[in-house]
Amino acid sequence: MGAPSRVEVELEASVAATFDVLAWEVELAGARCIQLDTIVGELLQTMPVEQRERLLEGMHTVDLLSQHLTSLSAFMRRMSEEAPAQATTPVTRALADITLGALADRMFTAFGGEETVIDNPTDSGDVDLF
Amino acid sequence: MNFNTRGLEVMVAENDRAVLEMLQIRLDVAGFRTSMARTGRMALETLRNSRPSALVIELNLPEMNAFEVLEALNPRGEKMPFPTLVMSKHLAAEDIQRAIRLGARDCMAKPFSGADALERVARMLRKPAPSPVLAPLVSHRAAFI
Repeated sequence: MGAPSRVEVELEASVAATFDVLAWEVELAGARCIQLDTIVGELLQTMPVEQRERLLEGMHTVDLLSQHLTSLSAFMRRMSEEAPAQATTPVTRALADITLGALADRMFTAFGGEETVIDNPTDSGDVDLF
Repeated sequence: MNFNTRGLEVMVAENDRAVLEMLQIRLDVAGFRTSMARTGRMALETLRNSRPSALVIELNLPEMNAFEVLEALNPRGEKMPFPTLVMSKHLAAEDIQRAIRLGARDCMAKPFSGADALERVARMLRKPAPSPVLAPLVSHRAAFI
């Protein structure tokens, strides 16, 4: 018999830990935005001048998104520090609503669930409908 | 970050996948080459065969913690062959002192932003190792917290 699936395990986390886990995930999303911004910036150099304006708009949007996420992450880190230590919340149902498999798996593990071995880590963008 | 990263490799040893991936991306975008480990044992095995420019290591890794890894790499408590940054959610003053005694250059309390982490790595690579005689532990404590 294998390990119980995410939906079979009842997890409860402190509010502080919940904010902490969310802060790291948002920080990771922000890092991906910065990565995207860099890639778009590299592509910009190869584009004909007349097409660059549109790409610059995209870069500006990505930059704004990155700053948005950085600010949210800072907010969540602070909330994690300030949340009362005794306050807890169930997280199982909320985790079950996350359809991105790798994200759900990371958060499940961060909340104390048993880690699932991912055979192919490149599947991190897979949608997992469970 | 105003720092020339060409040819520099940073190894990150961290069990939390979100933190690991975030650091990997931030370092990669900054131009560092990166290598990763999820456990202390894995980090030690990798470090016995390769020498990164810097090591960023979580204190409470599974299998072997960062202290055990540092002790294994630096059994006589001399200067580490590469600057090492120890990070953890709960860093007591004794943890910081022990890490420095074992050869770590810097300690960083979690949580932190990706930008902060990058800055600490760059600062560690810019600065020469402090002399253990000239830099008493108490001054490190003030700088790290």
